[in-house]
Amino acid sequence: MWQIASGLLLGWALGSNDAANVFGTAVASRMVKFWTAALLCAAFVLLGAFLEGSHGMETYRDLSEMADANLAFIVALSAGLTVTLMSTWRLPVSTSQAVVGALVLAGLLQHNLDSASLIKVVLCWVGTPVGAALLTVLLYYGVGKLVNLLAPNVFQYDAWLRWGLILAGSYGAFALGANNVANVTGPFYAAGMFAFAGAWEAQAACLVGASAIALGVLTYSHKVMFTVGENLVKLDAFTAFIAILAEAITVHIYALVGVPVSTSQAIVGAVLGIGMLKGMRTIDKATLGRILFGWVGTPAISAALAFLLYTMFVQFGLMS
Amino acid sequence: MAFFWQKRDNVQQMLADYFEQCDACYKLFEKSFKTYLEMGHGSTFEASVHKTHEAESAADDLRREIEYTLYGKALLPESRGDLLTLLETFDRLPNAAETILFALRCQNIRIPDYLQQEYQALVEANLKAYYLARKAVDNLFDNPRITLRSTKEVDEKESAADRIERDLVCAIFADDMDTGHKILLRDLAQLIGKIADRAESAADCIGIIAIKRQI
Repeated sequence: MWQIASGLLLGWALGSNDAANVFGTAVASRMVKFWTAALLCAAFVLLGAFLEGSHGMETYRDLSEMADANLAFIVALSAGLTVTLMSTWRLPVSTSQAVVGALVLAGLLQHNLDSASLIKVVLCWVGTPVGAALLTVLLYYGVGKLVNLLAPNVFQYDAWLRWGLILAGSYGAFALGANNVANVTGPFYAAGMFAFAGAWEAQAACLVGASAIALGVLTYSHKVMFTVGENLVKLDAFTAFIAILAEAITVHIYALVGVPVSTSQAIVGAVLGIGMLKGMRTIDKATLGRILFGWVGTPAISAALAFLLYTMFVQFGLMS
Repeated sequence: MAFFWQKRDNVQQMLADYFEQCDACYKLFEKSFKTYLEMGHGSTFEASVHKTHEAESAADDLRREIEYTLYGKALLPESRGDLLTLLETFDRLPNAAETILFALRCQNIRIPDYLQQEYQALVEANLKAYYLARKAVDNLFDNPRITLRSTKEVDEKESAADRIERDLVCAIFADDMDTGHKILLRDLAQLIGKIADRAESAADCIGIIAIKRQI
């Protein structure tokens, strides 16, 4: 059972980083106090994970049947180290990609990789930012028309956007929990470490994973929220609201499909959607290049680390 | 979280108070100017100038209070920024009224009888520009759909005030009074003309705020 520590560490890191994608804007602009946002985020992450997190768990089980808990430990540790490494390079990367990169390697080494599931996951990775961008464009025009129709005054507009950002943030947190909890305890669930819960096996894995994410949100998301939020506030409040809503809907859809995707990828896609609306000149090509490098490099580095750890474990006789 | 909504309601009320105070300042300015034309520099005019000054100071105090509340993170950053800009721009209007009265009091400018009607017309045109800018503010807060129409009216009134000002300056220099007196009268006309100019700047600011809220 000690192996789950690496998963909890990954969950804590995920919570401390990804909360910024859903509540960063509201907190950084002082619309919502940090603790209000953190508590809302933690509560909705738990709710989302408990109610809808089991779909992603099944995908991980399909991707690689892990017989060994040590292998699950290797997967979570490789993913955690990769995300930390990418964070030091200030690249908004995906925890899902890191986990899947390591998981695919585990599947290859164990000769039980389900290529159909892998194709589904990779297609969804491409679909996340693209879908979020398209959804942003649709929402921008749809909600924009509604706003113009209702013609709120300065104070009403302000109040609507405040509520909009809080509701979209809470929904984003729900989607984050529903979608990303599988990244945290998925490999351990696949290894059968939650079998003790019987019929509630998936829910138990979701609850443990979500608790780690919630802990990350509550204890260490403050700095990242301000960093990401202040960058997002460069958008106006309306476009920030649209971007967060598009991100939340996209991630939630993938949660229902059962594919763990990245809130970072979704928010980057949504912001690119805003860039498309405001003119492609506004998109920083160098930054986009760095982000794309991060997206390609993350699963590769994670897989390489997993291979290194696997070799070490075999050398020390911890695995056969 | 109710704290934030309370701050928003406070700002809304304080803004309403501020603009009412600006109106009070302009009513007193109108009365003071009329007194000056009718009675010249005397105790009645002095008392009126003092009252205008008090109204302007009260508006200043309210503006500062609103600014502190806004700096205290009431409203979204962009709403905050827009309202601070509006306040900064609009605050130059009561200042303009006070400056004109101080110029009359300190320089004791003698307005020839035959130019009094022109000065009165100039003040009226500028006051209209001010009240149209006020209407634009009210529309921004109450009826955003017609805000841009109101700002256009300010622009038109500013042009009309400019024409009266130019005609007045020509009339001043067509006279054979001494050059110093002419310059004082021209400066007074230009000071009065600043009301419409500043009303137009405020209207531009109001227009931008309204456009920013159209998606």
